[in-house]
Amino acid sequence: MHQGKTLLRKEGRQKLQHQLSAQILKSSRPEGFPAAEAFVSQMAAAEPWPENATLYQPLKEDQILLSDSASSLAVQTYLRMCGLPVQVVCRPNAEYMSPSGKIPFIHVGNQVVSELGPIVQFSKAKGHSLSDGLDDVQRAEMKAYMELVNNMLLTAELFIQWCDEATVSQITRHRYGTPYSWPLNLILAYQKQWEVRRKMNAVGWGGKTVDQVYEDVSQCCQALSQRLGTQPYFFKIPTELDALVFGHLFTILTTQLTNTELLERVRSYSNLLSFCRRIEQTYFESKDS
Amino acid sequence: MGAVHAKSMDPLPMHGKDLGVNPDDLMEHPEPEPDAKQEILENKDVVVQHVNIQGLGRTKEDLLGYEISDVFNAKNLIDVMKKAHIARQRLLRLGIFKEVEVLIDTSEGADALPNGLDVTFEVNEIKRLTGSYNTMVGNNEGSMVLGLKLPNMIGRAEKLTFQFSYGTKETSYGLSFFKPQPGYFERNLTLNMYKVTGQFPWSSLKETDRGVSAEFNFPVGPTSHMLKWEGVWRELGCLARSASFAVREESGHSLKSALSVCIHIFTPGLSLLIRMSILSIELAGFTGGDASFFKEDFELQLNRRLFWDSVLSASLWGGMLFPIEGKPSCIADRFYLGGPTSVRGFGMYSIGPQSEGDYLGGEAYWAGGLHLYTPLPFRPGRGGFGDLFRTHFFLNAGNLCNLNYGEGPRAHLQKLAECIRWSYGAGIVLRLGNIARLELNYCIPMGVQSGDRICDGVQFGAGIRFL
Repeated sequence: MHQGKTLLRKEGRQKLQHQLSAQILKSSRPEGFPAAEAFVSQMAAAEPWPENATLYQPLKEDQILLSDSASSLAVQTYLRMCGLPVQVVCRPNAEYMSPSGKIPFIHVGNQVVSELGPIVQFSKAKGHSLSDGLDDVQRAEMKAYMELVNNMLLTAELFIQWCDEATVSQITRHRYGTPYSWPLNLILAYQKQWEVRRKMNAVGWGGKTVDQVYEDVSQCCQALSQRLGTQPYFFKIPTELDALVFGHLFTILTTQLTNTELLERVRSYSNLLSFCRRIEQTYFESKDS
Repeated sequence: MGAVHAKSMDPLPMHGKDLGVNPDDLMEHPEPEPDAKQEILENKDVVVQHVNIQGLGRTKEDLLGYEISDVFNAKNLIDVMKKAHIARQRLLRLGIFKEVEVLIDTSEGADALPNGLDVTFEVNEIKRLTGSYNTMVGNNEGSMVLGLKLPNMIGRAEKLTFQFSYGTKETSYGLSFFKPQPGYFERNLTLNMYKVTGQFPWSSLKETDRGVSAEFNFPVGPTSHMLKWEGVWRELGCLARSASFAVREESGHSLKSALSVCIHIFTPGLSLLIRMSILSIELAGFTGGDASFFKEDFELQLNRRLFWDSVLSASLWGGMLFPIEGKPSCIADRFYLGGPTSVRGFGMYSIGPQSEGDYLGGEAYWAGGLHLYTPLPFRPGRGGFGDLFRTHFFLNAGNLCNLNYGEGPRAHLQKLAECIRWSYGAGIVLRLGNIARLELNYCIPMGVQSGDRICDGVQFGAGIRFL
């Protein structure tokens, strides 16, 4: 709560309180969960997590893009944090297999769930949760920061991928169409580009330049860095927020784009760097032999 | 009235015809002379001197020359009338005239022979743009079909058609250009561009196809051949959230570029049912695209009239799909079996490999049927409406499975011969024209394997292609 106040000027304190209370109200209902999915999660609660759970994403070497890779890594980190085994399978049509059209999605038993939010709810229904130890205010704050990452970092990644001409023509279009033959690879790439640009216009990012987007990324990282401070995790224990932030930052740090601007901006926050390294060592290196 | 064109023929040269068009040749205006001789031409030898076509606007003359040239060969009056009638049919089948009238008259003019005849075809060309609006009702869906046609676009019986269908379950549209070869109408080329969406509830699958195709038809003796290249962008998706994972795995986009040959052997026999065989072969993947397979499909039907106005009919269908280069086959290319139009007594396309209730289709199938059609008992409505109905006793059998291509043909045949589904029963058939058929049958399915969905008891079927 105290850290949150430093984000805004003094006169914005009321706005923050309003925002947080709105988040608390929202968090009392499962987020983004229509009634049918709530029923499904009730049924899911009946069975324990199986051994053969699978996570689907696009092809790692040739096809997957920055934003999808970040989302997929966030989910993988979260599941490792919960101690739930999952096998990663790469499919060229993973995006179309997903019920919501977004990567990644998991296939558990005979349920299919996509995106981090619903996956967190799904694992909670099975009795695995990371944020149970938090009180309501902390949980609302966690959700607010997750929204920040989704609205800023993820949108920035999509913007750089699909709206920056240099990146689109050199990297994205080619990668997106890899599994398909001509002319389908071009048709699908242009179709996706048009779709993402429309979405950018809808959220008000249509008129931004790449430099403005880099500025937004810096601001987001600054907020995260200030909240993290010198603590090992954002809260006392690792939560889904840690998984999400790690997923995005680690992917940005390890993905080669047309220039290193984005990388440098993230790297300038040393506590975020050490945070990423810590999580990588704890959850990924110890598992890999 | 359009320009009048005259073709004039002197004795035929042995090696062929010379159709010279001389627009400023003799212009034939039949003008009644007050003291015209009336000659009664019975079965005398006659010579056809001039064949005219009146009423042409945008149609080119060279196209029509082929259709009417045979009239010159007529030797007597009956022959002239027969050949003129055939020529009229040929002109009508081009699809560019609303009506064609034939006028046979004695020759007039300076070079008129005493037994000379002039034949005039008065034609009425179809308008440049015709539209049509239909409503169609199908299986639990209705649709509105709007068609726009430009017949005889450039003058040689080309046709450009645009069709748009908007329904409760799907929207589709297509543009098609048809060009026959002048003189050989049965040899023609069709270019198509289309977008079709379909929903397949038996597989919980929906498919959107956007494609272009080029088709060349030509007859060879009694057979009709079709060569086709097709390029389709296919998009598959799950119809419902509850679709099985096997169907979900097939979702996505693919490109199919395929060459196919279809041979249609048609020997008209009996009035009710026609003896025919169809063989179709499709090869995908060698002209680009993702889908890569060799697919063949055949249909055989034999009919024989028996005593008491009844007909015995036997039919056999079969097909095989070989994926090439080890790529697994796509659900949209596989075969499906079952339902009121194939093996009766089973649910629609509900035989064979399935996953959680969604039918995935198979790579090889065969189906056979033996039918006995008799008139309705006690023949109600005889001579009129009752003749459209027939009673129908049937025995259907079939199998659909995936083959293991590593094994030899003997193993394949063995696999197709085990777990045969079959059914028998009786019902009533209603023929709609020569195309569609409605059936109401009582079926008893047998040989049901686990996973098949049956429809025992009364089953209703409507369609065009029945086993």
